Order: sequence, then structure tokens, then C-alpha cells
Amino acid sequence: MPREIALFDALVPTLLFAFIAAGSGSLLLDWAFTRYDIYRHIWYPALFRLSLFSCLFAACGLWIY
Amino acid sequence: MTAIQHFRALYRLTLPSLHSAWREWLSEDAPVIGYMLKVLLACLLAMWLSLRFELDQPRTAMLTVAIVMQSRSGMVFAKSYYRLIGTLVGVVVSFILVALFAQERVPFLLYMALWIGLCTAGSMIYRNHQSYAFVLAGYTLCIVGLPATLAPGQTFNIGITRISEILIGLFSATLVSDLILPQRMWNMMLDSVRRRFSDFSDLLRTAAVNSAMIPASEPALLRFIGDIFRLETFRASAVMENDASRQNRLRLSQMNNEFMQVSTSFHAFEQLLKRQSKHGRLDISEALLGIYRQLTDSITVDGRSARNEQEALLVSKQLSAYRNSFVQTVANARRKIAGTRSDQDSIEFDTGIELLERLTDELYIYAKTYSSFAASKSQQMIASLHKQAPRQEMHFDTLAVALAGFRGALALAILSVVWIFTDWRSGIEAITLGVITSTLFATSPSPGHTVKQFFIGAVLGTILAYFCNFHWLTHAQGFLMLAIAVSPGIMLAAWLTTRPATAIIGSGMFMVYLMHIGFNSTYSANPVTFMNDAIADLLAVFLSGVLFSLIDLSNSRWSKLRTAQSLRQLVVAACRETLPFRRARLESAARELVQRAGSAQRIAEEQDQPIVDWLLSTLEIGHAVIALREHLQELNDSTIPAPMLRCLDAIANLYDDPTAAHRNDAINSIDSAMQHLSSDAMRLVLMQSTRHKLMTMLHFIHSALLDDESVLSANAIKQMEFH
Repeated sequence: MPREIALFDALVPTLLFAFIAAGSGSLLLDWAFTRYDIYRHIWYPALFRLSLFSCLFAACGLWIY
Repeated sequence: MTAIQHFRALYRLTLPSLHSAWREWLSEDAPVIGYMLKVLLACLLAMWLSLRFELDQPRTAMLTVAIVMQSRSGMVFAKSYYRLIGTLVGVVVSFILVALFAQERVPFLLYMALWIGLCTAGSMIYRNHQSYAFVLAGYTLCIVGLPATLAPGQTFNIGITRISEILIGLFSATLVSDLILPQRMWNMMLDSVRRRFSDFSDLLRTAAVNSAMIPASEPALLRFIGDIFRLETFRASAVMENDASRQNRLRLSQMNNEFMQVSTSFHAFEQLLKRQSKHGRLDISEALLGIYRQLTDSITVDGRSARNEQEALLVSKQLSAYRNSFVQTVANARRKIAGTRSDQDSIEFDTGIELLERLTDELYIYAKTYSSFAASKSQQMIASLHKQAPRQEMHFDTLAVALAGFRGALALAILSVVWIFTDWRSGIEAITLGVITSTLFATSPSPGHTVKQFFIGAVLGTILAYFCNFHWLTHAQGFLMLAIAVSPGIMLAAWLTTRPATAIIGSGMFMVYLMHIGFNSTYSANPVTFMNDAIADLLAVFLSGVLFSLIDLSNSRWSKLRTAQSLRQLVVAACRETLPFRRARLESAARELVQRAGSAQRIAEEQDQPIVDWLLSTLEIGHAVIALREHLQELNDSTIPAPMLRCLDAIANLYDDPTAAHRNDAINSIDSAMQHLSSDAMRLVLMQSTRHKLMTMLHFIHSALLDDESVLSANAIKQMEFH
């Protein structure tokens, strides 16, 4: 994978897209978790959400580098 | 007694007071301290991150934190979201403007002024955080576009840096407020919903105990207006929140609408009782009060108002029982006063019953929606799927919007003329803050006062920044010392923002303090630049204060007349529009107009009294007119008696242009319509129940017009004509 992508001739780090993808992925999961009331089983939902996002983002990062 | 016994006795004596003091501290002071620490932590995190990424201006990230931090997590998310959108739009527009007019300063500034004007106008139309996004899209142009004109090649970098810094700020703020001691919005919303229900029940119950001679509901009804819009703000922010508030959004807005209707009906009923007892129909108002007391009995739980959803469930059951026995109760009461009454008396009584029935129905629906919060989650899901949320519409004064846009553009024009012609070193600084202050506060209820407070904050912030830059930062070595040097200012400003009275001072202080803070990636404070910038900032805030006092709509007599005029137009629309005017629309439109005019916040002031009177009159007559038209619609078009239509037209004329002639015309046409309805021919054509309903509504409007304490009384109209 290239480390930088040209977006309208501006070089943008690929990590930015990974960030956006991870963000939307975790939003989607968050919606599903709220819908099916899974947060009931989790002690600290906010912390869980952050960790989930970090995992997704790190996975994308590993894939790029 | 031994020493130990002494100690125990002392312990037993002091323990309860210590305990209550601890609890008081926990509920009052602890959240404030927690919030201050959260702001500090988020600021320092933002500072550390931007230093780590070697961005040009860590202060932007810190400023972002200061702006979006609020005590509730959901509000922080919502504001962050809109700040991001506003910044992105502003940066893109800056790019376009620089690309088009980098060499031509006049068209550049002209288009910039135009854009800022448009954005300010947009911020006046939209509410809450959306309005903030508009302001931001406007002033980002000053922050990105203006420096870019000096070095067009750098434009892209300036824009990207600005976005990155803001993103870092938003990231820190949302992270800290979501992770550390998160304050969920649901609790607060539930609290205010509960308080409103029990306050309203209290109001209903005191009205039953007092004789109807003293209507005490006016200040309470106005207070509720503020409540309604505050809850609406919370509801709008709750999209981003992750707790029950997001699932209950539909229900909350539905409840707001129901509440508006029930409070209007209550006011109408109360007015009717007042008029009846003034005209000496004491036996009738006594009989109505008797039925009304049974209603208030059924909203009472254990001798007080319902305090939570479970009790509201009980109330709604009691109300349902009351509704079922309503016809019986009315029949009994009618029999009791049967001996003394004439035709006139009977229509008075029937009007009261009609209003009371309406009030009961609406109260029942309201209590039912409220008590459904107590139902389990899965049931809630199903229930909310069936109901569409009533749409919230925007109601605003076009002239006020245009003037706000003009003011923002004018601030930019004046400051940039001074900047260009005097070759002012700190011109850009002054323009930026001037545009921010003259656009950001356009939506506040009394902008002049707000800017004054902001100015005080700016002065305090400048003084603090001076000490920070030239006394503390000079000794700072390493990140820890840097953090210690900037903390006092942040803590002080954060503390000021927690108190409503000093909130604006706090935010002014925050902004100016962080704008002047003397480091980028290295220490860069320079006394001469600092002084120049400080003077420029204070001048800019002063200028926008002057502009607000020159072009201010909110406080003049003229603007009050305009608000009253637009309120009256609502009744005109309710009478004339071919499509039936929805009740919910009238209720929210009228209240929003008053809210925007800022009168609801200044009920105590005498000059706002006319607006309040017009509001109540609009709601009262408007609701009767809508009910009348609803009944008329049930008939076939051919059978709608012509006098009824003339009546609606006369009322519309009266509200369009309140003169004595129009008033007499309206009263006469209602009289003749009522006569027409009670003629034998009409008795045959119309169904008994429809005729009855039409009669009672007409009678209600009639007595409201004849009331000599209302804004439409002969005296009041004479005074208006005189002015």
C-alpha cells in the first residue's frame, strides 16, 4: 500500500482514510450495539467504544504499513 | 464520662450535619470542580498533541477545546460536529476566494463581507449548534483567508493546519468528556420533563383552590416557554448522545407539542372563568369550578402532584376514569343550576364545558406520553415506530435576519478599511475578533449586554495573558512547566463559565487569553506585538459593542411592534389560509416569535408586557378559530352558513389592523352568526352537536373580544391608534 495518496493533486496520508474508515466502522457498530441493547452487558460503554475504535484503526494501520 | 464517651456523643451530634454538608458538596460543588479539571485536562491534551505533531499554533487546538467544552457529553459531541462542518465550509470558501481574487483586495473584501453577511443571516435562522456552524463558516474566512492574501502560496497549508488543529481540539474535548466522569443528558432531560409536569400540575391545582378572580398563570406560562425551547435544544443535541435520550427524541418533541397545547387550553379556560365571575355569573363559574376541581383531584397523587413517570401513569389512569364519567358529571352539574338559567347562561356554561373537555383530553394525552417513559424499552421501540415526529419549523423575522447579516458585513468593512488605510500591524487580529463578536452574539436575547460582558472578559484575559507570557512562561522548562504556567488562566476561565451570571465573561476571557498565549512551537512572546494585538482586540470588541447598540432590533419599541404584528398575522393566517392551519404550528410559531424577541426572558420589564399580552391573545383566539374551522370542515361546503365565513373574515381583519371599527365589525358579525345559528332554519340543517360546538366557540371568541382587560379591549385599541 502507498503511504500517501494524491487527492485532487494534494498528497494525503493513507492513514487519514484509515481513520475515516475506522470511524465510520465504529459508528456503524455503535448503532448496531445500541439497537440490540448490547451495551447493557458492558461496564463502561464509552471506554468500550474508544477501545473498539482503536482496535479498528490499528488494524487498518497494520494493513497499510 | 470518659473521654471516649465524650467523643462518641460529639460524633453522634456532628455526624448528620457533616453528612448533609458532604452531600451538598457532592451535588453542588463537585460537578463544578470536575468540570474545571476536565477542561484543563482536555486543553493540556490538545496542547501536548499539537506540540507533538509540530503544528504551528497549538492555541487553535486549545481554543477549540475551550469553545466546545460543556458540562454535558452530548452537547460536546453536537457542538464538535457542527464546529467541524463550519470550519470545513469556511476553509473551502477561503480557498475559492483566494484562488479568484488574491491580487484584488477590493473584490476580495467585498465577497468576504457578502459571505459573512450571508452566514450571519443563516445563523439567525437556524437554532442552537447549527446556528454556531454558520457563524463559524463566516469567520473562518478571516482566520484562513486574510493571512492567505499576504502569502497566497501558503493558503493551502494555512487551511490544512487550521483543520488539523481544530480536529485535535475536538478529539481531545470529546475524548475527555466522554471518558472521564461523563455527564449524560438523559438524566437532565428527564429531570426537566418531570419538573415541568409537576409544576404544571401544581399550577392546575392552585387554580382550583384559588378563586378564579386572580389568574396567576401568566408568569408560569412564560416560564414554560423558556423550558420548551431549552428542552428542544437538549433534544437536538441528543442525536450524538449514546444513552436513552437518543431513543426518546421523538417522544420528547411530541411531548413538547402536547404541552404547548394543554397550557394554551388551560389559559383559555382560566380566562373564561375570570370573565364569567367578572360579569356576575358566579353560579355558573362555581359550577364549572366544581367540575374542574374533580379534574384536579384526578391529577393528584397522595395529596400532591406527580413527581415521576410511575405516578404519571397513575394520573393518566385517574384521568381516563374522569373522562369516562365526564358526561355524567356534566349532566349532574347542569341539573343543579337548571332552575336559574337563561339561554345566555346555558351557552356560557356550555362554552366552559367545551373548553374543559378539551383541556381534559389534552392533559390525558400529555400524561400518557409522559408516563410511557416508564414502560420497558422494547415496548417503547414499538410505540415510537408508529408515531411520526411533528416537524419543527423555523419562524423568524426577516428584517432582523437581514440586519444581523448587514451588521456582520459592516464590522468587517469598517475594520478592513482601517486596516488597509493605516497599515495596521494587528489588523488581521482585530478583524478576526471583531467579526467573531459581531456575528456570534447576534442570536443572544440582549446582544448589547452580552458584548459588554465579553469585553470585561477580554480585559481580564489580556491581563492574565500578560502575566502568563512575561512572568511565568519565561521560567518554564519542558512540557510540565509549560502546563503549570498556562493552567491558572484556563482554570479561572473555566470556573467563570460554569456560573450562568459570568458565563460570557468566562468565554471572553478564555478566547482572548488563549489567542494571546505566547508560544507556538517555541516561546514567541514579544511585548510589542502583544501590546499591539491586545489593543487591537479590545478595540474590535468595542467596535462590535457600538455596532450592536446602533443596529439592535431586540430592545427597541419598534421591534416590539413588529413582533406583535407577526403574532397577529398568525391569527390572520389561521382565519384565512385555505389549508387548515395546524394547531401545533400556531403554538410553536407564536412561542418561537416571542422567544426570539427575547421577551420571554424579560417578563419582569414593563415594556415587554404588550408582547406577552399579544402572545396570550393570539394563542387564545387562534386556538378557538382553528377549532371553529375544524368543526366547519366537518360540514359540506354548501351548508357552511355564510355568516360564519364573514365572522372569520372580520376576525382576520381585526387582527390584521386592530382599529375600533374592525373590532365593532367583528363583534357584530359574531353576534349575527350566533343569531343565525340559533334560527329555526339552521336547527333543521345542522346536526345538534355541530351547531352546539360552533355556538360555544363563537361565544368564546365573543367574550374574549369583549374582555376589557385584554389587548383588544376598546381602551387598548384607542391607545394603539393614538400612538
